[in-house]
Amino acid sequence: MEQSNKEHRKRKEKAGAKKKLHSQGHNAKAFAVSAPGKMAKQMQRTGDKNEKKLHVPMVDRTPDDDPPPIIIAVVGPPGTGKTTLIKSLVRRLTKTTLSEINGPITVVSGKRRRLTFIECPADDLNSMIDISKVADLVLLMMDGNFGFEMETMEFLNLAQHHGMPRVLGVATHLDLFKSQSTLRASKKSLKHRFWTEVYQGAKLFYLSGVINGRYPDREILNLSRFISVMKFRPLQWRNEHPYLLADRISDLTHPELLQSKGMHIDRKVAIYGYLHGTPLPSTPGYRVHIAGVGDYQIDHVEKLPDPCPTPYYQQKLDEFERERAKEEGSTSATTVRRRKRLDDKQKLIYAPMSDVGGLLMDKDAVFIDVGGKTGPNSMTAEEKDESDKIVSNLQATSRSIDEKFENVGLQLFSNSTELHAIEDQDEEVEEDTEDEDDVDRGNVGRSSLRKARVYGKSLQESNADLDNLSSDNENYNEDDDEDEAHRTKLVEIDFDDEKPENMAFETDSELDASDSEGWERTTAGKLNGTKNKRRKWDISKLIYMDNIAPADAIKRWNGEADETEVEEDLEDDEDTEFFTQKTNTTPNKAVTYHDDLERFIPYFDTFNDLVERWSTADSIKDRFVGKPSLNTKSSDDVKDEDDDEDEVYGDFEDLEAEPENTDEKEENSAAGDEESDSNESFADFEEEEKKDLTQDEERELNAAKKEKLRLQFEMEEGDNFGEDPENEYDTWYELQKAKIAKQLEINKAELESMTPEQRQQIEGMKAGSYVRIVFDKVPMEFIENFNPKYPVIMGGLLPTELKFGIINARVRRHRWHKKILKTNDPLVLSLGWRRFQTLPIYTTSDSRTRTRMLKYTPEHAYCTASFYGPLCSPNTTFCGVQIVANSDTTGSFRIAATGIVEEIDASVEIVKKLKLVGYPYKIFKNTAFIKDMFSSAMEVARFEGAQIKTVSGIRGEIKRALSKPEGHFRATFEDKILLSDIIILRSWYPIQVKKFYNPVTSLLLKDKTEWKGLRLTGQIRASLGIDLPTNNDSTYKKVERVERNFNGLKVPKSVAKDLPFKSQIYQMKPQKKKTYMAKRAVVLGGEEKKARSFMQKVLTISNAKDEKKRSKKAEERKERLKKLAKLEESKKEKEKQRKKDFFSKNGKKRQFNDNDTSDVMSSKKRK
Amino acid sequence: MSSSSRYVTFEGSRNFRLRVVMATLSGKAIKIEKIRSDDLNPGLKDYEVSFLRLMEAVTNGSSIEISYTGTTVIFRPGIITGGSYTHQCPNSKPVGYFAEPMLYLAPFSKKKFSILFRGITSSHNDAGIDAIKWGLMPIMEKFGVRECALHTLKRGSPPLGGGEVHLVVDSLIAQPITMHALDKTMISSIRGVSYSTRVSPSLVNRMIDGAKKVLKSASCEVNITADVWRGENSGKSPGWGLTLVAENKQGWRIFSEAIGDAGDVPEDIGASVAYHLLEEISKSGVVGRNQLPLTILYMIIGKEDIGRLRITKDQIDERFVWLLRDIKKVFGTEILLKPVDDNTTDLIATIKGIGFTNTNKKIA
Repeated sequence: MEQSNKEHRKRKEKAGAKKKLHSQGHNAKAFAVSAPGKMAKQMQRTGDKNEKKLHVPMVDRTPDDDPPPIIIAVVGPPGTGKTTLIKSLVRRLTKTTLSEINGPITVVSGKRRRLTFIECPADDLNSMIDISKVADLVLLMMDGNFGFEMETMEFLNLAQHHGMPRVLGVATHLDLFKSQSTLRASKKSLKHRFWTEVYQGAKLFYLSGVINGRYPDREILNLSRFISVMKFRPLQWRNEHPYLLADRISDLTHPELLQSKGMHIDRKVAIYGYLHGTPLPSTPGYRVHIAGVGDYQIDHVEKLPDPCPTPYYQQKLDEFERERAKEEGSTSATTVRRRKRLDDKQKLIYAPMSDVGGLLMDKDAVFIDVGGKTGPNSMTAEEKDESDKIVSNLQATSRSIDEKFENVGLQLFSNSTELHAIEDQDEEVEEDTEDEDDVDRGNVGRSSLRKARVYGKSLQESNADLDNLSSDNENYNEDDDEDEAHRTKLVEIDFDDEKPENMAFETDSELDASDSEGWERTTAGKLNGTKNKRRKWDISKLIYMDNIAPADAIKRWNGEADETEVEEDLEDDEDTEFFTQKTNTTPNKAVTYHDDLERFIPYFDTFNDLVERWSTADSIKDRFVGKPSLNTKSSDDVKDEDDDEDEVYGDFEDLEAEPENTDEKEENSAAGDEESDSNESFADFEEEEKKDLTQDEERELNAAKKEKLRLQFEMEEGDNFGEDPENEYDTWYELQKAKIAKQLEINKAELESMTPEQRQQIEGMKAGSYVRIVFDKVPMEFIENFNPKYPVIMGGLLPTELKFGIINARVRRHRWHKKILKTNDPLVLSLGWRRFQTLPIYTTSDSRTRTRMLKYTPEHAYCTASFYGPLCSPNTTFCGVQIVANSDTTGSFRIAATGIVEEIDASVEIVKKLKLVGYPYKIFKNTAFIKDMFSSAMEVARFEGAQIKTVSGIRGEIKRALSKPEGHFRATFEDKILLSDIIILRSWYPIQVKKFYNPVTSLLLKDKTEWKGLRLTGQIRASLGIDLPTNNDSTYKKVERVERNFNGLKVPKSVAKDLPFKSQIYQMKPQKKKTYMAKRAVVLGGEEKKARSFMQKVLTISNAKDEKKRSKKAEERKERLKKLAKLEESKKEKEKQRKKDFFSKNGKKRQFNDNDTSDVMSSKKRK
Repeated sequence: MSSSSRYVTFEGSRNFRLRVVMATLSGKAIKIEKIRSDDLNPGLKDYEVSFLRLMEAVTNGSSIEISYTGTTVIFRPGIITGGSYTHQCPNSKPVGYFAEPMLYLAPFSKKKFSILFRGITSSHNDAGIDAIKWGLMPIMEKFGVRECALHTLKRGSPPLGGGEVHLVVDSLIAQPITMHALDKTMISSIRGVSYSTRVSPSLVNRMIDGAKKVLKSASCEVNITADVWRGENSGKSPGWGLTLVAENKQGWRIFSEAIGDAGDVPEDIGASVAYHLLEEISKSGVVGRNQLPLTILYMIIGKEDIGRLRITKDQIDERFVWLLRDIKKVFGTEILLKPVDDNTTDLIATIKGIGFTNTNKKIA
């Protein structure tokens, strides 16, 4: 018994009491480490945590100001409540009740966040693959009663090999548990299983029951909150490719074509959606892959107004609008309240495939569904919202007119640099109409000109031309009448005076929609004399105008274009002889030189010119880091006299200059010091300028300088981390992150400094923009068999991915896949954006000397697979499945292999082992004649000197073919071989990878889940009833070995005699004397004999008894076993029956006998 | 695959090597038409065919179709493999003609480049080996290609040649570093090589004198090495020349070169090379005109980031325009030229990389 004492009561601490510093004689602060073990553990833990946080630094190319919506895929086996979840979430986020879920649904979820929900068809492996490539977040649904099902596991594995998106588990149907304890237990086991699949501590949501066709509001709220704060890591593949999840598809084929040529012609298709990933190049002809359809060239892309803008974006727009309004002086600017929560108006939803709100916006039309399709109840609920939208869309129509022009311009002059200002979108309708007017006028004017104009004549008309056209130039918005008069005059003067200086060209103009020869026309239109200031060509544009010869382009840029040329231009603008004209007029002084661009050494002036120019090197003195020479005076410098002085005496200048401004003086002197350090006369120059600036200007200059410094990339790219003492970053990781951030900042700043058209040209369509991509010649099946339930994904292709070749990859059969994989058996690979069937050859490397073919994949190890297909950059992971058609699938795990691309090449050397077998028929000492290996002397000649081997391991070499029996040869061995030996020649036979590439075009099928490609070898065998070919020699038989008797070694006497003493064979002579026992004989008699015979009798009897007993027992045992077996049988039967009954009752959930969708829908409705 | 845009089509013989190189880097098939079709001697020249053979050797899976007249070439690039190879250059073009385009490909191959070129090592029109070594390879170094070297085993002057040059590029990089060169190159020193084969060594020193006299005004350190080749390593013909390189501390180089013919005065050659150097410096922003294609292309095939390079107005000549147009045709990207606002006529070329990566290299 333990003694029970009263518990110790601690002394109560007084509230204001000062903490005791000294405890146990130590100052606790001075000796901080009181528990070193604990501290070590703590440090270890923090270290571990920090280390876990580290990732390979990767650039995140998603724009941070207006990112694309986050793609949330809802995935799970049929009947787990995917649709219900989406409905509940959409209802929660936008207060919209969806009747049907078709295609992606984009909703605004926060100030800066939009979500795109997409439901993954449960029974389609192809869709699962595609979804796993684009989803940012996966809501993995599972039935709490069933736990993990095959689809869940398959999807998780697919996702893992396509760059693992974030995964949130959602367990449903938890209300079906009757007792709390089983619920708890199953929750726990589910959670732990989920953790092993995803990661330890992964979030798993539990949704209990369905109320009003939705999950409980509280649980959905929690889930949506969780989603709205989620952060995402950039994934390698998506960070290198542009991609898009189509939320609308329309057939643009001209109906007349369909009528005249039939429905079977290839279609022109437009795909709409938000861009993700890297910017999509806006150049036409960019190749993309539409998963399940194939590779296509983009005909053209255009940016559409965002159908579902974030409140943040709208706010920015409003601010911009207000700013403009303020500038224009109107006082109607209203203050906008900043809200913390989203306004109901801002909770937008955009789901064109699902017919939400009955509203469709197109490029040039708005369709309002008057409500035949959607239920009346949903319409009434949104009446107010809708009317709002209609109003807003009426405004949007003006945009789309504007855009129409822009788009046509894009289409027509894709090769030229002329693009329309995107700013135009924000312009008022008035301006647009004005533009239209201009266009009209322009059209009229041109037609008349066309007739009248003759080569080299009629200035009057050129003026008319100018008048008509230059008015759409935004740079000259002055009063038209005045302007025109002025202009005509000037132009006339120009021509009369032959002053080329007044001639200038303008390129940034707006093209009207209908004009096909707009470029030429506008060039003329830009001939402009309104301002005497010489207008310059923009070199960036000039360079890319293919119809201007480079020499000419340079000349124009430099403003050297002389009068004759200008006139020619005018003519050219009128005529179509533009090109011929130009080529005739190009010859010039340096042309002969420039013609040969292969010349490496650049063009220099003649020696004498150079001597003259470089008598002093003053003009480039600022390019040398050296002492400024005192006695030279620059002749052609911009600086004036005292500047030069300053330059020379850089250190002293400040003392005499500007004594009144002390601030500046200080600054200057500081700068001067720096200067003297670097001795850069460059700086002097700037210094000089500063003197005559006012403070404001100076500030501006400083700001500019700072801006420049900010954008300077001073961080050294090399690996000299650690060596640099000025490094402010503690770790390499930090340095890399800082570098990436810096580069991104530069990118952003540079891109923002460009005009919108330049930006589009250089950057392309950036992620987050809503685009319409038009494809030509898409198979009609895509449109005819289109089903919005199946996601359409478009991914951009890098140059490498356009090429075809051999891919060497490291693959492994998936450990859950039941069968090993066979070489040259078709395998559907999901590599990159594509899904395709190919014929892989599995190989292994024989100690790196050769790549040897394997017939089958090894059981639990990686091997290499070589297959033909579109190339993909190394380090890309992929997975392979054998069958995608639902009708062919068994219940087993479908992902057959996973792997990673190691190398791409145009060819690959794979060999397989080939053993040639021969038999000796005549044996000399070490030489033997071999037959049956070759059939001709020629073949033997090919293998002369080759290594051969007997089965017993005696090595040899092929020597020469024998003349007589064709194909026989002489060989030598290291030892004498036996006639019974088999001779083996091991050789390597090269095999080729079969060039088979069969894209999985599942989206073209009526029944998308039934794509069947090349059949597997096993399937063909089964269907044709062919047995596996068996080699009789390869079958295992019982080895019957004849016992061999070896005679003892007999050494002849004559030999034995000569053997050395050591090797003498000792053999004892037989004994001659009789032994003791041999001498004696024992005879029994009397008592002993009797006793012995008695004993023998007794034993015989007992043995016989025993024998009888044993046999009886054996019989009994046999009987018993029989009985037991019978019992077992009946037991089994019973169990089977029970199982059958159970599953026929409870296993109904997974039955999809016919793939009728209506059937699916009805089965979804749970009782 | 659609058949309409199977090739990128070019016309004429200009920029031949660069077009082939760009096609190889981008993986796009090109078709060059009308090669000297108006010439008396139409079609490809022997050196161009030799260059195509070299391309075939350093790549795997490329196919070259030359029309019967030789005026049309279809080049379908394969995968850059590199490896060791010996190339016999025809005597119509020097080694530099063949080695220069290899610099564009070498860092992006499967295996390391080790090519032995045999032929003429210097000429009037093409890159000399010293120019490549001192002028172009430092540029590559700036872009992250750190281990590249051009070893001169033998010098061979025109017309007979007999030189031997070994190009070794050991660093295989994923993509070039994004470049931000916003300041003009400040020259810290001028170096040079004055070389001769099978002529009197005095010529070499006279060239140096001639060059130094001119460069005296440049007021910076001038250091020119005399490099006289004798015996069997000096090729089959007599010849002499000078290469001058202006260096800066950041690693940029600007260079000029020339070779002398029979009857030329060595001092004059020296002086003219020096004048050329001064001229080139005056006309160059960060890099010289003959380094511009290499620099621009390396920037084009960089990461999908924006790189910047300062160039001068003088550098925008016809070649530059051709270069950019060809780049646009193959890669589909444009560069933007923006004036610098510091009272100069210079421009900043803003280049966004195409996100190229070296896919040929095997993963470890």
